Amino acid sequence: MCSRFRSRHVALAIALLAAAGCQRESREFQTAPVEGAQPHPRLSTLQPGHPLATTASDIGAHYANNAWHITQGGRLYRWFNCNGCHAAGGGAIGPALMDAEWRYGGSIEQIHASILEGRPNGMPAWRGKLTDQQAWQLAAYIRALSGNVRNDAAPSRREGMAATPPPTRIPTQPPRGGDDSSGTGPAP
Amino acid sequence: MRPLRPCWIGLGVLPLAGCDGAQSALAPAGDQAEAIGRLWDLTLAVCVLVYVLVLLALAWALRRRGRRRATDERAMTKALVAFVLFTGGTLTLLTVASFVTDRRLHAPVRDPLHVRITASQWWWQVEYLSADPSRQLTTANELHLPVDRPVRIELATTDVIHSLWIPVLAGKQDLIPGHHNVLVVTPRHVGRYRGQCAEFCGLQHAHMALDVQVDGTEDFAAWYAHQLQPAPTPRSAGANAGQRLFAASACAMCHAIGGTDAGGRVGPDLTHLASRRTLAAGALPLDRTRLAAWILDPQRYKPGTNMPQVPLQPQQLDQVTDYLMELQ
Amino acid sequence: GNTIALDAKNGKEWWKTSLADIQTGESITMAPLVVKDKVLVGDAGGEFGVRGWLAALDLRSGRLAWKAYSTGPDADVLIGSAFKPFYAGDRGKDLGMKTWPGQAWKIGGGTTWGWISYDPQLDLVYYGTGNPGPWNADQRPGDNKWTSGVFARDPDTGQARWFYQFSPHDLYDYDAVNENLLLDLPFGNATRKVLARPERNGFFYVIDRATGQVLSADKYGHATSIERVDLKSGRPTYNEALKPQSGRVTRNICPASPGEKDWNPSAFSPRTRLVYIPHINLCMDIAPSEVNYIAGTPYVGADVKMYAGPGGYRGVVTAWDPVRRRAAWEVKEDLPVWSGALATAGDLVFYGTMDGWFKALDARTGAELWKFKTDSGIIGQPVSYRGPDGRQYIAVLSGVGGWAGAIVVGNLDTRDATAGGGFANAVRDLKDKSAPGGTLYVFALPK
Repeated sequence: MCSRFRSRHVALAIALLAAAGCQRESREFQTAPVEGAQPHPRLSTLQPGHPLATTASDIGAHYANNAWHITQGGRLYRWFNCNGCHAAGGGAIGPALMDAEWRYGGSIEQIHASILEGRPNGMPAWRGKLTDQQAWQLAAYIRALSGNVRNDAAPSRREGMAATPPPTRIPTQPPRGGDDSSGTGPAP
Repeated sequence: MRPLRPCWIGLGVLPLAGCDGAQSALAPAGDQAEAIGRLWDLTLAVCVLVYVLVLLALAWALRRRGRRRATDERAMTKALVAFVLFTGGTLTLLTVASFVTDRRLHAPVRDPLHVRITASQWWWQVEYLSADPSRQLTTANELHLPVDRPVRIELATTDVIHSLWIPVLAGKQDLIPGHHNVLVVTPRHVGRYRGQCAEFCGLQHAHMALDVQVDGTEDFAAWYAHQLQPAPTPRSAGANAGQRLFAASACAMCHAIGGTDAGGRVGPDLTHLASRRTLAAGALPLDRTRLAAWILDPQRYKPGTNMPQVPLQPQQLDQVTDYLMELQ
Repeated sequence: GNTIALDAKNGKEWWKTSLADIQTGESITMAPLVVKDKVLVGDAGGEFGVRGWLAALDLRSGRLAWKAYSTGPDADVLIGSAFKPFYAGDRGKDLGMKTWPGQAWKIGGGTTWGWISYDPQLDLVYYGTGNPGPWNADQRPGDNKWTSGVFARDPDTGQARWFYQFSPHDLYDYDAVNENLLLDLPFGNATRKVLARPERNGFFYVIDRATGQVLSADKYGHATSIERVDLKSGRPTYNEALKPQSGRVTRNICPASPGEKDWNPSAFSPRTRLVYIPHINLCMDIAPSEVNYIAGTPYVGADVKMYAGPGGYRGVVTAWDPVRRRAAWEVKEDLPVWSGALATAGDLVFYGTMDGWFKALDARTGAELWKFKTDSGIIGQPVSYRGPDGRQYIAVLSGVGGWAGAIVVGNLDTRDATAGGGFANAVRDLKDKSAPGGTLYVFALPK
């Protein structure tokens, strides 16, 4: 009698837990689901007069915390030869992306802008060559390279040569340089 | 061609696709599938025999129920020995048959055609290898083979585990990351067949088909020579604009068209796209309307596929479609 | 992508000719060579899917006189009736297309960013072609002519006379753009005009510079990627166990991609009859993967991680006897030696280290006679000249950089073993040992 009571409750608990595991995150394949204006991040830390409050964008937050978008960004990172100039985050003829130094800002909105607009001294402008969603996915992955990602959204393993630690093992380095308009979710 | 087995024996597998023979393991069109088919027939025969015998034994036991009879030791022993011998014999027969079939599948072949198939999510890159590198050919989602010539297919993948299964030609063979497998097929009958991915590989695993065409030797040589040519230059004004648009926009980031600057390899090679019969690894038949619909919104037909929804004006979409439909 | 002629007296621009298109990744990084009335210029960008070429501009006007490509049909490569390669494998029509799949030769590399030498008696220029692209060799089956080899051409017309390929179907980024030492050396009873080359693939080649015949090819350091060079066919035998494969990691390949020696030039002393080779001792792991060609972006397709070779030292200066075909002496250095070498008539050999030491060795014994600590690592080439006052001066630029010094200049992150093309992993300590800089040092030798 006692064991049947216990096992029934255990079974119910397990079923509830399993159900909670469903719909962990939603993945939209067509367009970003979040309505609202595209963010226009500032490049400079200077503002005349009192600084305005920095606002995070919902679009950025959505991509930054979505495991599928981050790993898709990792795939695009190699497909579009980002690793040719930036290696696996350590840099080569392009600067390192896994440290805290960001000339043009390290928030996801600023990285997204840098990718689409291009930057002086060699960063090509990808607008028109990448879709907006692809640029967000790349920006989310690049944020993860410096550990700025939730542990449950980043992969815990590395493929191939495993040249870097996985993003979950890299200490979070809040970006320095550019306007620090971050705010894409709680730090892990 | 062997007569088709009745559909209901095939365990209720997709009836229509199975019965017309394009993707039926029960309608072999090559040596390897033939060997597997014979083993299958033998196993079926043995199983049917055993099934009938078991039913007969059951019927006999039911008839005899209730009657008390003295146990006839000797008859029992004889029956038991016969039973064991019969079971052992059939199992040995099946084992030997399986071994012989396996040897036949892996028999060395002389002068095979060398092909490399690299699977990605969710399409097939097909490369024809040649000792003369300038005769190497890259295409996608279709496999043309000459009849009566063995083909040695190297299997590789760029991402996850896939499996190639062309039932009329051979059994399944996995494509494993970091690993090279080999599948040998020798097609014997000219015709159009279908293969598909047989190892769950993600969202669009079900839409990852391979269009297989077995041709006579001359037809194959003609097809091969045509495919080696770079893409034809666009003829109409719309196609010209389409070519410029293709090279300048997101298309060239992933796709290659031989003879142009577009050299992307992460998506299927489109050099002779219009000469193919299907689109998106068999997800759609290829015609102008469906091609335009696919380009406009690939996520509608294959949600989760890696081809993004590229924003194009209606006129731009027309131009790109014009260009691609000219790539015979 | 421009070549510019300035008046040496006042810096005024005479002419400027645009030759390379940065949008496709083409650039010019080499120092042009003036031969008779032509200025010879080569391009760079083998890691960007660029097609290599050597161009000759008219000295007075800057107009293009001829351009010889490193891949493609014979008409583009300027191969005609004068072309007489020594080895059978280099004879045939349009090999610059036939040894490539499809259109791969158009983005095949073979850039000419290294050294050119000129022999006024034979009236031939010698220069090397870079590695084929991409590094992932599975995407370009075939010998990939005319990359990773050395051309001999007529400087007036550009027509090729002979070609030798050091690394057919290169697997390891062994560019063949190193310096060509034009020497007259005794072989048997005769003196032969040779081209000596400490090559990236680990072998010291002595080639007859009239015909292109390889007279000797010997390992001058620790090399495992190529077992030997067959002198009859001219072909190297690659080590099967160390051949990279797409999708897999292959480890312990020596020498690493920068080679046994990269482009930093060696020096020959006619007094000691030795070639002083400033080079490196690095091995690597490589993992090729399929790479997408997007014009103007890197077209490499390989993850590389480098580290010190056997012995733990990363740099070495070898005094090589090209006739006896062995080293006379060797000086090991902790850091890779990325500077050029200079041999003087006072029997001194000058070179610099990546942590800034400028050293002078005894040319006969290798003993260190003098050294001076400069502000930054030395990757430049020392020069010697006689000043207006009759005194001998030695000048060298001090300023770390290049592939070996990228970790300092680019502030790369060594948590990524593939940073800096894999080189950052080999010189993780360089940030502690050298700061960025840029100073010209001039020393006067004692009167």
